[in-house]
Amino acid sequence: MTLWLALALMTAAAIFAVLWPLGRRTAAAGGSDIAVYRDQLDEIARDRTSGLIGEAEAEAAKVEVSRRLIGAADVADADKSASGRSPLWRRRATAIAGLVLLPVGTTALYLAIGSPQLPGQPLAARMAAVQQDRSLQTLIGQVEAHLERNPNDARGYEVIAPVYLRLGRFSDAVNARRKLLALSGETAERQADLGEALAAAGNGVITVEAKAAFERALVLDPADLKAKFFIGVAAEQDGDKPKAAAIWTGMLKDAPPDAPWAPVVRESLVRVGVTPPSPTAPPIAGMAAPSASDVAAASGMSEQDRGDMIRGMVARLADRLKEDGNDLEGWQRLLRAYMVLGDRDKATAAAGDAKKALAGNPDKLRQIGDTIKSMGL
Amino acid sequence: MTRKQRRLILIGGSLGVLAIAAVLVLSALSDSIVFFNSPTDIVQKQLKAGTRIRVGGLVKPGSLERGEKLNVRFAVTDGNHDIAVRYQGIVPDLFREGQGVVTEGKIEADGSFVADSVLAKHDENYMPREVVDALKQSGRWQEGEMKTDAHVVSKPQ
Amino acid sequence: MIPELGHYALVLALALGIVQAVAPLIGALQRDTALMRLATSTAIMQFVFVALSFAALTACYVTSDFSVVNVIENSHSMMPLIYKFTSVWGNHEGSMLLWVLILAMFGASVAAFGGNLPTTLKANVLAVQSWIACTFYLFILLTSNPFLRVAQPPFEGRDLNPILQDIGLAVHPPLLYLGYVGFSISFSFAIAALIEGRIDAAWARWVRPWTLAAWMFLTVGIAMGSYWAYYELGWGGFWFWDPVENASLMPWIAGTALLHSAVVMEKRNALKVWTLLLAILAFSLSLIGTFLVRSGVLTSVHTFASDPSRGVFILMILIFFIGGGLALFAWRAPLLKQGGLFAPVSREGALVFNNLFLTTACLTVFVGTLYPLALEAVTGEKISVGAPFFNLTFGPLFIPLMFVMPFGPLLAWKRGDVLGVAQRLMAAFAIGLIAIAASFAAMGMSSVLAPFGIGLAFYVMAGSLVDLVERTGLFRMPMATVRARAAGLPRSVWGTALAHFGMAVTLLGIVCATTWGEERIVALKQGQSVTLSGYDLRFDGMVQRTGPNFRELAATFTAGSGGVAIGAMEPSKRSFVARNSSTSEAALLTRGFSQLYLSLGDVNEDGSVAIRVYFKPLVLLIWLGSLVMALGGALSLSDRRLRVGAPKPAKKSAAKPSTLQPAE
Repeated sequence: MTLWLALALMTAAAIFAVLWPLGRRTAAAGGSDIAVYRDQLDEIARDRTSGLIGEAEAEAAKVEVSRRLIGAADVADADKSASGRSPLWRRRATAIAGLVLLPVGTTALYLAIGSPQLPGQPLAARMAAVQQDRSLQTLIGQVEAHLERNPNDARGYEVIAPVYLRLGRFSDAVNARRKLLALSGETAERQADLGEALAAAGNGVITVEAKAAFERALVLDPADLKAKFFIGVAAEQDGDKPKAAAIWTGMLKDAPPDAPWAPVVRESLVRVGVTPPSPTAPPIAGMAAPSASDVAAASGMSEQDRGDMIRGMVARLADRLKEDGNDLEGWQRLLRAYMVLGDRDKATAAAGDAKKALAGNPDKLRQIGDTIKSMGL
Repeated sequence: MTRKQRRLILIGGSLGVLAIAAVLVLSALSDSIVFFNSPTDIVQKQLKAGTRIRVGGLVKPGSLERGEKLNVRFAVTDGNHDIAVRYQGIVPDLFREGQGVVTEGKIEADGSFVADSVLAKHDENYMPREVVDALKQSGRWQEGEMKTDAHVVSKPQ
Repeated sequence: MIPELGHYALVLALALGIVQAVAPLIGALQRDTALMRLATSTAIMQFVFVALSFAALTACYVTSDFSVVNVIENSHSMMPLIYKFTSVWGNHEGSMLLWVLILAMFGASVAAFGGNLPTTLKANVLAVQSWIACTFYLFILLTSNPFLRVAQPPFEGRDLNPILQDIGLAVHPPLLYLGYVGFSISFSFAIAALIEGRIDAAWARWVRPWTLAAWMFLTVGIAMGSYWAYYELGWGGFWFWDPVENASLMPWIAGTALLHSAVVMEKRNALKVWTLLLAILAFSLSLIGTFLVRSGVLTSVHTFASDPSRGVFILMILIFFIGGGLALFAWRAPLLKQGGLFAPVSREGALVFNNLFLTTACLTVFVGTLYPLALEAVTGEKISVGAPFFNLTFGPLFIPLMFVMPFGPLLAWKRGDVLGVAQRLMAAFAIGLIAIAASFAAMGMSSVLAPFGIGLAFYVMAGSLVDLVERTGLFRMPMATVRARAAGLPRSVWGTALAHFGMAVTLLGIVCATTWGEERIVALKQGQSVTLSGYDLRFDGMVQRTGPNFRELAATFTAGSGGVAIGAMEPSKRSFVARNSSTSEAALLTRGFSQLYLSLGDVNEDGSVAIRVYFKPLVLLIWLGSLVMALGGALSLSDRRLRVGAPKPAKKSAAKPSTLQPAE
């Protein structure tokens, strides 16, 4: 609304510029060349008195300029007799042009090429808005302050535990999970979550403590998926591949075909050398976000194996993106993976591919650009 | 002197100056124009050694070698043919393998090219116009891949 | 909202421009004062709107409003504030907006301060000016719109081309445009005169301040551009004969010729037709310059990202104004009355000589610049015309021009006395000869031609002061009289002397820097040093730094002379993350008017670093001379004669003029 008001005011100012001179009565006093020639005569006189030019030269120049002066005066007289007519109809026609054509033409052209519906978006204002949205640190601070005052509020721990885990504050996550268990009692899910946190805190190794938590979870609910999976990982880490394979195959057998965790399990199966049962619809070999489970799985292997496994995953992701390049998150993950692997060249190449693949989508293109920039590529 | 004579002097003088200018222009042009060639042109035209030319194309990936005393060797390619280029000096900031380049210098008796100036792109999107044309001719150009922008000269002679 | 306000303001300016292009023309034809008066208010309002539009775009840049495509493409939120301002015109669209802003500003200035112009002339001038403005508004709105938006703005822009992230961008383009576009006023005056079919001595006086202002800005603009290229491009050259540089030089030469021929017209009512033609040509050459920069037909340092539709549009504008202007000239010029008579040897004769050589020099530059285009169009061969061509053609034409330069102001009007003038120039000749002898004695036979160049420069410097010395009676009269006389001299006399003097200073700088400059390209390891022209440079080590939007690798050097340290030099390489590109920043050490110049090449595997080091003797004189020339122009501009017929003093205080009428 403000925009339209401002545009209207501007248009009014423009119209005023056209109408105002039409309405004035007084004839404008224009300059004339006579003044110039008079000044030239004065100048000659000055030069003569200060001795800059000789008498004869001054005379000749004076004659020349005087002749020009007379000529100019004649023309001026002729002009005067002819000027000053300003018929009303002409002024009216101009006024109408100014009043109608000017605003109509301007608006038409502007609407054709302008974008009045888009608000201005200065970066500072946008940043402030974003800050409000997801100022994670402030949020954590608030929750922590709340828990300090009410140390027995279970919901607070429930909220903050996954956040800690995501941020890599594993021991805080473990504490929060423990507190939650103590406050609101045992469930399979809570035990499994504790186990996950413990495993993460142990750099991915399923420690005795973690394994105990998962086993306790399975006692409470034998179908708990997370616990099952991690027990498999534990078996794998213990070197008992067949057991791990058996657990995971079992999980896949019962799984709905589109289970979001299925790809991770399938990856794990491949790792222990078992071809996963082919699902009804062949899923894309995607790479899950580096969750604690992946870390856990990987940490049980030798350096060499782990490297191979990660590279294998990355290569598959790269292949997939080559076929379907429209996956923004995939590209971001691939870039991060290359950077983590220290493969800067490949990362640079992938950044280029990503830009090309996402060129059709400005929004995604911008996001991938941000990612690339944040990596210093 | 009458008005006519004065005018004749003026016109005569003007023509004289113009004639001098024309002589200067023609003699200078024959000495200081440099033809642009793609590597394919050089192979096809069998240019004489010692001719001063410009060669443009892409710096062939993997061909760049830096030697002692700021010597640089690289190959310029248009996709069909390559030409080896030697240069001594500092290459421009954005001189890189796989990027467009225009070099100016002379062909040696052995068919290699000794450049005394190297022009490189100045912007990630820039490709010298001559190079674009050369690549188009050799069919290695994809339309819309690059747009022209500023470039800069490395070292003039 | 702000970008849309700017966009709308530009459309409004176009609409007002159309009114201004039509109504005053009809008004002048019918002698309808109301319609003629319309030109004044619309011209001023047009300027207000374009200024608003420009301010809006600037605001978008400063606040990093990435909903504007132009801002995304040429800005970065981390850029220092000054570059956020300058990047407004560091790209095609924004620089076109600056172009029309200046165009509208000149139009508004004529409207506001042209009270001494006859009403019909003023109306016609403003109408023609508006024709130019309208075509460029259309060009911007239809092919190069800086206000295009995106609905989903990114969080970061693509950054300004690193080479442009320099204070030079703040100075060079605005000054250059003030010059280029300033000639539009001379053009409009010429076309208005042709439309009216009447032209006389007074016209020359009216058009002179505008031409002078444009010339002055162009002089400084070209000089600043040259200095910028000198320190930014990293190989120490100050003029590259690059097509776009030539494109700015050609209007400058034509403008210089116009300034001189307008003097003849004002004083003697002669050379009227020629002056008109020059006024048309000067602006035509400015337009050609714009075309060359924007269309990308020639490869050059300055070329903007190009787009064929823009090239075609500008070509159409070019054909319309140049073709139309010249056609009108061919039709109407023969009807103009002949002017005063003069002998070949006279002040007029000298000015004609000046014009003849300037236009010929301009022509050779034109040929050299456009020959590659023509040849490619005809034979398909691609060529480049290098600096030797211009040095071989432009140089020889400028030598006689420089030689005659001191004669001009000393010759009498109508019929001059060459021998008498030569006698008055005896002292100058002597100084020139001494300079030649001294340079041979100092520099030996290292160059045969250069000492003559130095001699010529000193002769012109001395010669341009002769008029002042004689007129003030310096060395002959008591100081009080000299002072009184000096104060009584018209400022234009001072201006002429200063401008000629500055030209000679520039010549001196060019001769010295190109002849006796030294260059070394070496690779140094830490602790090693290189010696050049008596200066030692020791490489002390490398430093890694981080700038706001770049990373910088700087090498520190200590410069010494005769074992005494005289300063530190830090050339560096900057890499700009957002654009994935890098620049070299040269380090300069000024000694008097000379400079040591150091630029960084690659860092080798063995830890040594390649550097390019130059010693440029008296190089600063090149640009100082240009500034002196411009100062001469400014002095001339402040001459009271140029304000004759201006509104009465009472009104004067109300309308405080900016560039055109500096306080006395």
